[in-house]
Amino acid sequence: MLTKRQNLMEVIKGGNPDRFVKQYEFLEIIMEMPMLKGVFLEPGTEGKNAWGVYYRWPEGHIGQMPVHGEHTVIKDITEWKKYVKAPSVKFSDEEWAAAVEHANSVDRNEQFVTAPYFGGIFEMCHNLMSMENALIAFYEEPEHMHELIEFITEYELAYAKEVIDHIHPDAIFHHDDWGTQRNSFLSPEMFKEFFLEPYKKVYGFYKDNGVELVVHHCDSYAANLVPFMIEMGIDIWQGCMTTNNIPELIKKYGGQISFMGGIDSGVVDFPGWNQEIVEREVEKACNYGKLYFIPSLTQGLNISSFPGVYEAVDEAIDKMSKKMF
Amino acid sequence: MSKLQEVKAMVEQGKTKLIAGKVQEALDEGNKAEDILQSMIDAMGVIGDRFSAGEIFVPEMLIAAKAMSLGVDVLKPHLAGESTSSLGTCVIGTVEGDLHDIGKNLVAMMLEGTGFNIVDMGVDVSPEKFLNAAKENKDVKLVALSGLLTTTMPKMEETVKLIKDSGLPVKVIVGGAPVSEEYAAQIGADGYAPDAGSAAVKAKELVNG
Repeated sequence: MLTKRQNLMEVIKGGNPDRFVKQYEFLEIIMEMPMLKGVFLEPGTEGKNAWGVYYRWPEGHIGQMPVHGEHTVIKDITEWKKYVKAPSVKFSDEEWAAAVEHANSVDRNEQFVTAPYFGGIFEMCHNLMSMENALIAFYEEPEHMHELIEFITEYELAYAKEVIDHIHPDAIFHHDDWGTQRNSFLSPEMFKEFFLEPYKKVYGFYKDNGVELVVHHCDSYAANLVPFMIEMGIDIWQGCMTTNNIPELIKKYGGQISFMGGIDSGVVDFPGWNQEIVEREVEKACNYGKLYFIPSLTQGLNISSFPGVYEAVDEAIDKMSKKMF
Repeated sequence: MSKLQEVKAMVEQGKTKLIAGKVQEALDEGNKAEDILQSMIDAMGVIGDRFSAGEIFVPEMLIAAKAMSLGVDVLKPHLAGESTSSLGTCVIGTVEGDLHDIGKNLVAMMLEGTGFNIVDMGVDVSPEKFLNAAKENKDVKLVALSGLLTTTMPKMEETVKLIKDSGLPVKVIVGGAPVSEEYAAQIGADGYAPDAGSAAVKAKELVNG
């Protein structure tokens, strides 16, 4: 039997996997990294993160959202330098200790030690200035947007260096949502103009420094951006929703990139979920194919919003592995 | 190209820095403010259709809406009464339990561009707040409910029911990722739209009914 890591490599290299990769099983995500302190609020609380972006997680809601209006960090994009202060990426060995211990405990033959990054370059732009202001600024103030993006990219590179120095990750799991369920936010031309080169720099840096696998989370439609994902160096697009026509993507791009998702969280992860719904959706996903595809909830972590759903998906994938391998 | 056509083209192209001057030129040339406004409403119709067809993306829609808004600012002193909102008032918001606002904001802009006066209730709006806003604001013809989360769909249903049971003469339109035409009909909404472009078309159809 292949290890989780070996099986994943067979899937993405077009080899001979002996079962489906089961969601996030191949990634051991190091959530203890000191940069992540304060990234997630507790339910029922609100406050600023290290960049000054104000978040709120109302009681009973399933997640946190940035709040703008009076809290917006960048009040005028032409003066962004006045408003934006990047947090420090330097932490003491003591602050790194838990992350290092976790990374050292991982059997790297079995799993990839994985460094997460939440709120990538595009998300950072609109978190700092609100979505509407950011999207308008791409047209009205492109030079300032390029400058802001360069600044965020430099931060990401500094973050990457610290992560590599301390935990030597085999994989990164990087979040940046680029669309709605129906389309990308930006046209492919605009996306290319602003984000291709910065991401080539960031993902290239990780790869040049021992990271074998780049997993990018984007739970939206982004099929029109896949050629750029490949050029950036993304190995696995996680969060790939069914609206992307996954079978067609596999046929067109399999071998250059793999797709992880196909089980839309919104469809199975809700208070009234049941095993029947889960099994129906998992079966659909597994029929997309055994290569270049990893059946998974589209959720951006190895959890579900409602208790039991993630585990039920795992079980349903096991059943499909028995049936199809 | 006539000045009215030029105004329409500038809105479609989102020429936010030039539109005010062009609208002023159209006025100076003797065009009626109502006709200039109509050319901008027509432009937003084109933008909505192109967005629905996937030909343009959110930034293009946003700058067109901004251009229209800047053009309307120039026209306002020349318009009789409240004719910038010829279709009446629309109360819009994201339903209780849901903090997503991008889709709702886009729909609000498109509806404003179509000729509605907008009362934006924001996000996480309770059924009671929607009902009160529909009662308390002037000339409310439409209530638009947005929801992105499967988990908040029951709140959408509750809101539709509360408004319908109140007997107010308003139409209710719903939209958002988990919502479908069938679901809209099932919960008693008058209309459904899959995106901001078609929301404007559907909203106009509902109130002109």
